[in-house]
Amino acid sequence: MIELPDLVVGGLAAGTLSALALGGGLLRSRRQQALQQAEIAALRRQLDGTLQAFIAEVGYLAAQRVPAAARQLAHPHVAVPGPRHPHFADTPLGGALDDVLTALRLELTGQRTRIDAAAQAGMRGATREIQAALYRLQDALRGLQQQYDDPELAQTLFELDHENEQSLRRAQIAAVVCGAWVGLAREESHLVDAVTGGQARLAGYHRVRVHNHLAAGTALVSHAVEPVAIIVAELLDNALRHSAPDTDVTVNLEHVHHGVCVTIDDAGLGMTQDERARAQRLVAGSEPILLTDLGDPPRMGLAAIGQLTRQFDLSVDLSSPSPYGGVRAVLLVDSHLLSRIDPEERPPAASAPRSTRREQEAGTGEAGTSAPAHAYGIEQDDDADGVVSEHDGPRDAGGLPQRRRRSRATAPDTPVPRRPARRPEEAAAALGALQSGTAAARSGTGATGGEAQARGGRGNRRRHGDDRPMTDYEGGAAR
Amino acid sequence: MTGRPGGRPLVPAYLSTGGVARPSRPQLERLSVLTGTGEPAPGDLPAAQLALLEELDGGSLTVVEAAALLRLPVSAVRVLAGGLIDRNLVLARAPIPPAERFDPDLLERVADGLRALKHN
Repeated sequence: MIELPDLVVGGLAAGTLSALALGGGLLRSRRQQALQQAEIAALRRQLDGTLQAFIAEVGYLAAQRVPAAARQLAHPHVAVPGPRHPHFADTPLGGALDDVLTALRLELTGQRTRIDAAAQAGMRGATREIQAALYRLQDALRGLQQQYDDPELAQTLFELDHENEQSLRRAQIAAVVCGAWVGLAREESHLVDAVTGGQARLAGYHRVRVHNHLAAGTALVSHAVEPVAIIVAELLDNALRHSAPDTDVTVNLEHVHHGVCVTIDDAGLGMTQDERARAQRLVAGSEPILLTDLGDPPRMGLAAIGQLTRQFDLSVDLSSPSPYGGVRAVLLVDSHLLSRIDPEERPPAASAPRSTRREQEAGTGEAGTSAPAHAYGIEQDDDADGVVSEHDGPRDAGGLPQRRRRSRATAPDTPVPRRPARRPEEAAAALGALQSGTAAARSGTGATGGEAQARGGRGNRRRHGDDRPMTDYEGGAAR
Repeated sequence: MTGRPGGRPLVPAYLSTGGVARPSRPQLERLSVLTGTGEPAPGDLPAAQLALLEELDGGSLTVVEAAALLRLPVSAVRVLAGGLIDRNLVLARAPIPPAERFDPDLLERVADGLRALKHN
């Protein structure tokens, strides 16, 4: 009977022990679970925090960094901010976000170039049409100018022609900025004509003073004529725009060692260092032009100069200040773009200023000779020869300037002493005196008798004869 | 301005007079005769006026001839000449009236009469 309680006791003890063991295990696992839960909760919090930071970082990328990067392409001075939390900068996340910006920049640059090219093509087409139409209008206006000389009508025609020139200039530079050709083929022309022609395209052309120190006949090869006229017009426009309306803009045309130099000085405010650098960059034409870079309203002048200097091997310098206080612009035309026109056969335009060289020469050489110094610098002094011989065409065989006259002036070769021209009143007075003298003689002889009258008549006739050269001269003068 | 071969002129006509087309001497006509007075040209003479004055060095010219030589419209030359006359550098004379011409009708009638006589 003992075995049973023993068994029971043993069983109970075993049960208790196992219960204790189980309870301990349970407790331990409970504790472990709690620890794990705490760890999980901590991790979850950390994850939440990281997620929040990540969302905030991406949000910041979208809200701040991407727009800034896009703006920076158009405006280089815009700064792109770094990540919101600086500690991301060195993490893979920071790198990935920077990659986003890089890809965006690349794509935007490509798109921008494509869109700009499309805009330029569209504008090129439109301006080309406008330019052609304005040339037709110019032809019509000039035809009318030739045809009608009523002052009021002529005044209107002059004004319209000037307006048309200005519109033409704008259309032309817009086309040139968009990569088009200058749109007009010209023949070889005097350089001073190209400069004066450029001057005429501006609203303030009255304020421009051109001083021509070139040897007569200095000309541009045909393909350089229009570009030089455009560049001069744009430089003058800048000068006129940035100087006071009561100041002059001075243009000097001079020979330099390897070409001709057109210097444009204004007495304006000048440019700041930044403006000067930007202008110099634009006129150098080394960077491609984007319409979106030109501002609104677009400032096309310098960009057009840049295109032309690159295409035609001209050079423009804006880096030095003018002695008059404003800007000095120097256009250098290389000698391979120069040629020579016989100024006698094809004189420069009437409104183009004379060469100062010729005036000096005429001033000294004219003294007592009866041969009239003719209008367009035929004669050149030796200095001029020395300077221009490098890039000038062949000169006369002996190397000596020849004085020739135009075919029109085929005055008698015999040295007829030229009478000074007489005023109409003087001529009338002389003829009146003659008539009254004749009448007086007639009446006088009439009183004395027939024979004397006959003699007097003969005398009168002789006096007429004496006077004939004079009347002939009048007739000759009239042609 | 059409005299130059090949192409439009570079320098427009209005530049020659500074945009003025109303002459100071409205009586100048296309055939008015201009003569230089021979006085020395002042240094400040505008280029186009100087060009006209120099054209007149070789003798007298009518306004329209000077316009053709200078390749300018007549209206511009009238303004230039007006300026020169005002400065006493040029004299202008009224156009010489064209000689009396025979009436073409009369000439035809005479010719017809002569033919009629010949046939008779």
